[in-house]
Amino acid sequence: MALLEAEQVVMRFGGVVALDNASVDVDPGEVTGLIGPNGAGKTTLFNVVTGLLPPTSGTVKFDGVDITRAGVSRRSQMGIARTFQKLEAFNTLSAFDNVRVAVEKNHRAKWKHQRVNDVAHEMLGKVGLDDVADVTVGTLPTGSARLVELARALACRPRVLLLDEPSSGLNEEETTAIGQLLLGLVADKDNDLAVLLVEHDMSFVMGVCARIHVLDFGKIIAVGTPIEVQGNEAVRAAYLGGDEFRAGYVGVGE
Amino acid sequence: MIFGVRHSVAVATALGTLGAVIIAVLTWKGAQVTSETFLVTTYIGLFLGALWAMYATGLVVVYTTTGVFNFAQGAIGVFAAFFYWELHVNRGWHSILALFVVVGLFAPALGVVLDIVIMRRLRTASLVVQLMVTVAIMVLLLSVVGDIWEADTARRVPYLFGINNGIDLGPSQLPWHRLIVFVVAIAIAVAMRYLLRRTRIGTAMRAVVDNRELAALNGARPNVVSSTSWALGSMLGALGGILIAPELGLDPATLNNVVIIAFAAAAFGALKNLPMAVIGAMLIGLLRAHTVAWLDFGSDFRFAHLSIAPLLLLFVVIALPQARLEVGRLVHHLRRHERFTKWWEGLIGCGVIILLAVAFSGGWLNFLIWDPGAWGSRELNSANEAMALALIGLSLVPLIGWAGQINFAPLAFAGFGAFVYLKVIGAGWVTFLGLDRLGLDPQDIRDIDNGYWILLVGLLCAPLGALVALPAARLRGLYLALMTMAFAQAMSLIFFPNPWVMPIIGTGRQFPHIELFGVTFDDRRGFFLLLMCVFAVVVYALVLLRRSRYGRRWMAINDSQAAAATLGVPVVWTKVVVYALSAVIAGIAGVFWATVSGNVDSVQGFDLLIGFNIVLLVAAAGVSIPVAGIFLIFIPLFTGLGHRLEDSGNVDFLVTLLDIMTTYGPGMLVLGMVFNPRGAIFEMGRGFSPILPWRSDARAEIAAENAQKREPEIGELGIERPFTPEEVIAIDRRLGILDEVVPKEGYGAARS
Repeated sequence: MALLEAEQVVMRFGGVVALDNASVDVDPGEVTGLIGPNGAGKTTLFNVVTGLLPPTSGTVKFDGVDITRAGVSRRSQMGIARTFQKLEAFNTLSAFDNVRVAVEKNHRAKWKHQRVNDVAHEMLGKVGLDDVADVTVGTLPTGSARLVELARALACRPRVLLLDEPSSGLNEEETTAIGQLLLGLVADKDNDLAVLLVEHDMSFVMGVCARIHVLDFGKIIAVGTPIEVQGNEAVRAAYLGGDEFRAGYVGVGE
Repeated sequence: MIFGVRHSVAVATALGTLGAVIIAVLTWKGAQVTSETFLVTTYIGLFLGALWAMYATGLVVVYTTTGVFNFAQGAIGVFAAFFYWELHVNRGWHSILALFVVVGLFAPALGVVLDIVIMRRLRTASLVVQLMVTVAIMVLLLSVVGDIWEADTARRVPYLFGINNGIDLGPSQLPWHRLIVFVVAIAIAVAMRYLLRRTRIGTAMRAVVDNRELAALNGARPNVVSSTSWALGSMLGALGGILIAPELGLDPATLNNVVIIAFAAAAFGALKNLPMAVIGAMLIGLLRAHTVAWLDFGSDFRFAHLSIAPLLLLFVVIALPQARLEVGRLVHHLRRHERFTKWWEGLIGCGVIILLAVAFSGGWLNFLIWDPGAWGSRELNSANEAMALALIGLSLVPLIGWAGQINFAPLAFAGFGAFVYLKVIGAGWVTFLGLDRLGLDPQDIRDIDNGYWILLVGLLCAPLGALVALPAARLRGLYLALMTMAFAQAMSLIFFPNPWVMPIIGTGRQFPHIELFGVTFDDRRGFFLLLMCVFAVVVYALVLLRRSRYGRRWMAINDSQAAAATLGVPVVWTKVVVYALSAVIAGIAGVFWATVSGNVDSVQGFDLLIGFNIVLLVAAAGVSIPVAGIFLIFIPLFTGLGHRLEDSGNVDFLVTLLDIMTTYGPGMLVLGMVFNPRGAIFEMGRGFSPILPWRSDARAEIAAENAQKREPEIGELGIERPFTPEEVIAIDRRLGILDEVVPKEGYGAARS
């Protein structure tokens, strides 16, 4: 059974149907992709899964438990962490303090100051932000602030990590590094981590994802491996001819 | 869901109805209810409701179309009423002409000016800045009214068409004025609803508040739209003020407090639903009229009927569904580097504050050209009052400054603290709890140094703070602001005027001198030093707290509640905790505040306007920095200086100047927040810190800024206007390709 399952989720905003019976399942040990044109409902699905939006109907299950009605922070404590497409970093805090907020909330209370700091530094190190640890996040470039969000999410010791366009604002080199990091994290059996990735950078998605869900107008139109999805007619149609799916790109981590 | 109704609504309705029935049974006057008296009372209620509906309509229109909740709505009405009085009564203009000039010309002009000068710039500002600025406008308008139309003459605004003309209703008469008000209020509400829902400009108005840029791309002109909204809102406020003045009398404070009723009515419609807001206003009007007619609260609760609106607001807040955490509102923009005061810096700073205060008040400092001399009792009194206010101000630092939550009730908590203190040291609770039968002698309690009880006062204030914050913390920040305001008003109407709570002023010293460690602080100088020490300790505690995990968490929820929640931070609970902490500090400060004079005026002492001034001054000073509290010295200092100058004579203009600064200072300072939301202390600190030997980082920052100033701004990458040759060179220099490609005569010459 999948670790995280969204089943038949419907989300209506007035007359607009943002999600129309969308079902997504995410397994530990791999990166699952969620792609689709702009406005397909990807971020809405993230908001439903993390509890920021109550779905009109449908259920969200985590580890077999129905969490559709659970609060946001409750879900976080269960092990669901995320980053945001539009940045939600704590701008007035330093990168280090951003991560510390997460560490302090998700590790045992008796942890000493030093231990918290060590873990926070370790997380910043993972995303390569050691040298800007003491910089106020509001003054960092968008790409780095995005990485702060990633470090913060990792510090929650997540079992499911939802990443909303982590590569935007990053250069090619940094994107590759993030891809490597994700593959490393899910490959590590101790982590038992599942990643759900929303991304527009197709070579990145195709490179790191084991399976991909394609969302269009709130409906899941295809699920499969990168190769299957690229060959899918409906997907090509959704992407207007599918120029982005030409074969032969250089995948990340391959 | 219960019978298809949301749980929260059902609970709130049940609680409200139950409370109303209990109160009605307890306070029933016993007057006979006839259908005639009932009818008359009902029509008075509907008329009052119509007046409030007019204010509420203005609030809702401005809020739905600009996103700014206008606390100054009532003050606009006050100003308009006085202006109308001036034209109609004082100058003898015809009422229709005066009405047209005030409502048709002056009010829209005021709205447009407010929009252009201030409101437009608040669009992206934080809620704290938005609210502070509208409250500042309110305070400023009231000050202007107080200055132009001094309170020494009695003024009345007559009813339109007189009180005696109207429709005969049998036992009494319905004057034209009231009938007109009712019809006009309903007509306005209907017209506004139509305007917002069915017309082009109305649709544009609602679109602009959702997404200004997108609406602009679709042909709406955001600036025209927001000016229209403010003009409309201002006209409705003005009309309401003029029509309500004959009923309530021309008193600025009374007229301004109408706005709280309008807030409750607007909240009844979730701040955006016009028909519900009108129904809310009518409901309050009916409740008020029937309460006055059938219930008698006795002299101890003589203002109770005025507290219907604050109570209704409470139930509305309980009934509203939990707010969604907003995402995507955060603007990631370049800000200055944030630096937290280190623990030893805080220690040094607090030590210096105490030493300076001691030296200055003792007259040990001689400035060569000016020897201040030791302070006399009057100066010390002012200073004590100032420090007590500063302590109250400190309570706002973690709440407003760090967590970004608003509290307009610091004085209510201070008053509650003073009340608890009085009861605790009186030891009446020993017999009340039956502890004397267990062998506890009340005299033993009274023998303990009373200063130790201050800690207990703090502990008892925490649950009150939590209780006030709990219902509103689930909702958007604006509701917390409204709730605290309603709470402050309810406390000053029901709680403090009760003689059991606060003893009547003028019967000797009610609050005994504070005793600590066997010392009684009965002389002003000793008390001043004690206050300085307490202030320093609280400031230092806040410095440490800001660096702790709690401080971090509070600043995190201020930056992004959604992100904090997804990290596992329980947002509602966190807000409640900060609020309780704030109540603790305010409550402790309240004990000192009451002890300064030993007497507190139970009606005037907790006036909402004084509370506003405290909040405004701390906000203007820079509420995220603990030392900002010291800015509150401003109020008594200027008053004290004024007295001193008056005594010495011959400096009238200075006295006037100080008077103006005291009256308008807080409001004006807050308007500065439009441009500098961080507050004054922050800028002062930036100027000062490079002097400190260990702050090489501050020196580096200043140097970097100066260097940036010297380099020409590149501008909007040539989109707004073509590059000048200098800019091209600047870009090339930055890219490091200058030497190779610049033609000898520069780009400008090459291009032409």
